[in-house]
Amino acid sequence: MVQEQAAAAGANDAAPPAKDAEQQQPKPFSVKEGMQGIITLLEKAVKTKETRLLMGRLMRQTAMVRKHMTASDLVAFINTYLPKDSNSAGFLKGYVMQDGDTAPMEDDATAAGDAGDGADAGSALGPSQLPEVELYMYLLLLVNLLDRKQFAQAREVADTAVGLLQQHNRRTLDAIGARIYFYYSWAYECTGALADVRSTLMAAHCTAGLRHDAVGQETLLNLLLRNYLAYNLYDQAEKFRSKAQKADTWRVPGQYCRYLYYLGTIRAIQLEYTEAKEVLQQASRKAPTCAHGFRVACNKWLILVRLLLGEVPERVEFSAPGMRTPLAPYFELTCAVRSGDLAQFRVVSEKFAAAFRADRTTNLITRLQYNVIRTGLRRINLAYSRISLKDVAEKLALPSAVDAEYICAKAIRDGGIDAVLDHAGGFLATRELTDLYSTNEPQVGCTVRSVKPQSPLQSAAGPCKGVCSRHGCYT
Amino acid sequence: MSLLKEAQQLLDKLKTAHKKNDWPAGKAVLGQLRIKLIQLPAVPPNTGFSSPTAQQELLLARDVYEHAVLLALKSQDEAALESSFTQLKTFYADTRSLLPAAPQEWMFAGLDLLRLLVANRIAEFHTELELIPAEGMTVPHVVSAVQLEQWLMEGAYNKVLAAGKSLPPECSFAVEQLSATVREEIASCAEASYSSLKLADAQVLMMMTSKKELEQFAEQVQ
Repeated sequence: MVQEQAAAAGANDAAPPAKDAEQQQPKPFSVKEGMQGIITLLEKAVKTKETRLLMGRLMRQTAMVRKHMTASDLVAFINTYLPKDSNSAGFLKGYVMQDGDTAPMEDDATAAGDAGDGADAGSALGPSQLPEVELYMYLLLLVNLLDRKQFAQAREVADTAVGLLQQHNRRTLDAIGARIYFYYSWAYECTGALADVRSTLMAAHCTAGLRHDAVGQETLLNLLLRNYLAYNLYDQAEKFRSKAQKADTWRVPGQYCRYLYYLGTIRAIQLEYTEAKEVLQQASRKAPTCAHGFRVACNKWLILVRLLLGEVPERVEFSAPGMRTPLAPYFELTCAVRSGDLAQFRVVSEKFAAAFRADRTTNLITRLQYNVIRTGLRRINLAYSRISLKDVAEKLALPSAVDAEYICAKAIRDGGIDAVLDHAGGFLATRELTDLYSTNEPQVGCTVRSVKPQSPLQSAAGPCKGVCSRHGCYT
Repeated sequence: MSLLKEAQQLLDKLKTAHKKNDWPAGKAVLGQLRIKLIQLPAVPPNTGFSSPTAQQELLLARDVYEHAVLLALKSQDEAALESSFTQLKTFYADTRSLLPAAPQEWMFAGLDLLRLLVANRIAEFHTELELIPAEGMTVPHVVSAVQLEQWLMEGAYNKVLAAGKSLPPECSFAVEQLSATVREEIASCAEASYSSLKLADAQVLMMMTSKKELEQFAEQVQ
């Protein structure tokens, strides 16, 4: 990358500055040089059958080129690197010309000029017969159209690209193929027709599994999970995820993060909060620093899962740079849960109802009501040694004292609060702290620990009922 | 088409069996109807074929599946209930683009939720709940199912027992089982939280009508 930029700077010093619009940057990035680098990389990779090189370097260089690319650049590349008479060249050029960025006549002139300069710059790269290059052109065009928000056209290009992709079975094509599937799914998602893509993606996933196309498998797994979750089909998503073939180590870290996030959301909906928290935390940590939106989404779910587990997230997490605004509704929610105030909780839920619905977290938030009540009860229990049930009902904004009685009973049984109820007197009293060793508790605990099923070693050693792990005594 | 007419006649028989709560007869008719449905060209999974009477066939199929569910509910046949609900849900999902929306779809969704709640399959309850959109959430069956789940989780058992009496008629299957579950829960909570409780008070807590009922329950739990 650094080498290319240096070369570009060197070349631009000599070349007329008319064409390059990026002169305002100190080291102008020449799109042409970038493309040359990419094509060289592709050709080298295919020649040496080097597949690992492609995913990382290719994508990074594509990202650089993508920012500065214009329609005329695209036409120039298509003319230079694809054989003149190929079907793809005509098809792609048709789409580039369509958006009318620059007039066709100008394109031809600059195209000729660029082709000439390309030859002059010394790297004699001409039209390439590789399917990699061809499909890479499709990818570039797709990316370009999506960046310009021309989703309908992007869909058509994606359809053709996928059709073309399915005719080949080359491992060097895996990285490019995975990206094409990604943008194919994205184009359909932006036009609201995500369900249509499901069967194609599923078939591609099966094929990728058969061919040991690891990158393709990972990408397609995530695309399918995203597809199911977009329609709230959590059941189906989980069935697919549990049966799908997954490698032990993931090739692409970005795909691993996405997978962890989807898994976390599924687990959260299925009430398995501990696992969800673990997985979401991992996803948030492994995400690259520039994946800001992803981190925000992860954090939203993580906050809710932690609240549902009964822990209160720190204030610091809400005021991290860039997180304050998106997490503001969740911050207010956390405050309401922490204070155990049911009325306040209801107010906040209604106030931000639209935001929660957009995040698809409405049902999770409804589940939080129980946590609010439990926190409220705990506070009351700590503050009062004895309090009438009527007062409890009032403080917790419960409809009546009878409800309060039942709710307190359940909380006591679940171990949320340490108290006793008195039905006749109608009050809740905190259980007095007695000396634990004057009761039977330690003996019971020791027995539970020591009477374990005997291991073969122990039974071979002789008639020994077991060892108390705490005190090392035999019983 | 004669096939359609035959299917229509069988459906009428099914409806009468349903009104009379006659499960064995209904089951027999249902078996015959299922064979007819396979033969109809427009009904999923035969969606590749088009037919002039497509709409009627689809509406007929929907009626059949709905009555299958209602019959199974009345007869309390667990396996039949499970399979008929799955068939109905899949049918709704497949024909969402082909048929106009049916308001009773959400009623059946609510019944399904209630069934899962009563069987204590809470994870599945929540995944099903996610599938119901905003307009489905206002249907009384769904609202009662969601509220019941909320009350059960909070521990407001008195509300659950009281609500059992005011549920819509189709939900009658749930009332008995819910009451049993709730009473067991109340008993275990009471054991943990009261150091002592008079029999009369216990009776009030469990919302039982007589002392004898309480004694029977106590023996059962022992």
